Amino acid sequence: MSVRIDTIRECLDGVIPGLIATCDADGVPNMAYLSQVQFVDLEHVALSYQFFNKTRQNVLVNPTVRLLLTSHLTAGQYRLSLRYLRTETAGPLFEQMKAKLAGIASHTGMSGVFKLLGSDVYRILDIEQLPGPTLALPPPSVNYLTALRRCSDRLAACDHFENLLNTAVDCLGSEFAIHHLMLLMYDDAGQRLYTLASRGYPASGVGSEIPVGAGVIGVCARERTPIRIGYTTSEYAYGRAIRENAAASGLSAALETAIPLPGLPEAASQLAVPITAFDRLVGVIYVESTADLHFGYDDEDALVAFAAQLGMAIAHHQQVADAAEEPAANEPGPSPPTGKPLAVRHFSGSDSVFLDDDYLIKGVAGAILWALVQDHAERGRTSFSNKELRIDPRIRLPGVSDNLEARLVLLQRRLDERRAGVTLVKTGRGRFALSVERPLQLIAS
Amino acid sequence: MIDHDNAAFIQTGVAISLASCGADRVPNNVRALGCKLVDGGQRVAIFVRASQARAVVANIAENGRVAAVFSLPSSNRTLQLKGSDAQTSAFDTTDLTLIERHTEAFLCEVLPEGVSEIAVRTIHAYSPADLTVIVFTPTAAFSQTPGPRAGQAIVGAA
Repeated sequence: MSVRIDTIRECLDGVIPGLIATCDADGVPNMAYLSQVQFVDLEHVALSYQFFNKTRQNVLVNPTVRLLLTSHLTAGQYRLSLRYLRTETAGPLFEQMKAKLAGIASHTGMSGVFKLLGSDVYRILDIEQLPGPTLALPPPSVNYLTALRRCSDRLAACDHFENLLNTAVDCLGSEFAIHHLMLLMYDDAGQRLYTLASRGYPASGVGSEIPVGAGVIGVCARERTPIRIGYTTSEYAYGRAIRENAAASGLSAALETAIPLPGLPEAASQLAVPITAFDRLVGVIYVESTADLHFGYDDEDALVAFAAQLGMAIAHHQQVADAAEEPAANEPGPSPPTGKPLAVRHFSGSDSVFLDDDYLIKGVAGAILWALVQDHAERGRTSFSNKELRIDPRIRLPGVSDNLEARLVLLQRRLDERRAGVTLVKTGRGRFALSVERPLQLIAS
Repeated sequence: MIDHDNAAFIQTGVAISLASCGADRVPNNVRALGCKLVDGGQRVAIFVRASQARAVVANIAENGRVAAVFSLPSSNRTLQLKGSDAQTSAFDTTDLTLIERHTEAFLCEVLPEGVSEIAVRTIHAYSPADLTVIVFTPTAAFSQTPGPRAGQAIVGAA
């Protein structure tokens, strides 16, 4: 019986390179090493096409090839019969392989030599295990089915968005044993992602931004596909990727650069998984490790399944918050605060907000805060609802699909980190309160 | 055909593998366990496990065509030799020391790459009765070291 490709995926990540045998028009065999084999589905794999070499010439003449794969874990050897179908030069599969190849090239001293020209897609005709002894697979570090089951229960029990966010981050740490991670939300209008939560870094980086298309996270968002790299590569390092991408897209001015993106300075393994709901991108889960090849296909599968549930739950909580009834608009607030005034300065062009002289936030979250403190100063308001913010012309929300709950959590977290005496407190579904401990002095610039 | 440098190279801790091709233009391949030069350095003898090399052996019996690749993991230096007079011959047990020596040299190459010793030894495990030899005269040699000159014929490429 033919072996299933999904049961031998550890052979594909190139720890022991694959060997491809081809045959030319005259029947002369040829053999070459392969940098990368990519699992596509149960019936297809993709091989990296990097040079127009003899293998390439032969495949175009005789499309049936034999691939020899070896497991570095079990020592099992497998001979795959494949038939070449097509070459993809853009899109999710190509980007997945391009990113992976950048890591492999860097690891093998081949940066600048290995460049992906295409992803050659092959149909799997047969997989034969060669005779010979094998080792038992070492036990996995995590039982992903159990982890996913527990995560499903925990996500389903969340009663509002912030609770969901905290639970998701806790799940990744406690159930999946991932110690360095970020959860980013997608800003469709701004073509960027903003960090809403993180774990495992000296600073949270909440509010930091990355353009769509930059680094592992940005490519994952653009292609809406998981991107996984097993080795350190400068090609996908964030500082460089953000700078180059922002400059190319003209985003430099608008992009949040005052808040640094968190992240391991020497990440070897990186994995970004898109969070989607109803065919729309919601955000990205990003995890990383200083160990080589830390994340494999199983980790990717588990996170994709987790992200699917998280995406639906985010969409649900956003809908509930947006539909909630408005509170009384002019309910009396607490007695006016006393003490040294806090200067709240707003720059209308970028919606940047500074508390005293310290930068807090800009963009949509900055506009929200400015509207809230204006209403507080003019009418003593402390209670607000999502519903009214959605239609408030001062805020200019990018669209109905924009996740207002996420924007509010971002603002709330920035305020909490600043400890300047202004906070946002959730008071119910789609409702929240502004808490002000010092008199506010509003300055419009 | 094989200069001194390449002759020495293919007998270091290189990964060795063989490819063949049938009349149906479907190729086959197999991993090898070592090699030696015979006939005054004119021919290469490569040791394989018969149980894993059935299809390769069948192709060779049919047309004698073979491609052998030798690659050193630590440097990526890779050489491909091709021939059209390949034959299968019986394994001489006095060559067991060559296989053992090759496994040890190969281990030194791949242990730094993160592959465990037990995995390498298992991949290279054999029973002497299962060993067979494929012998051929190289008529073409190609450098396959990754880079702009990959695939370039060293000598004799038609």
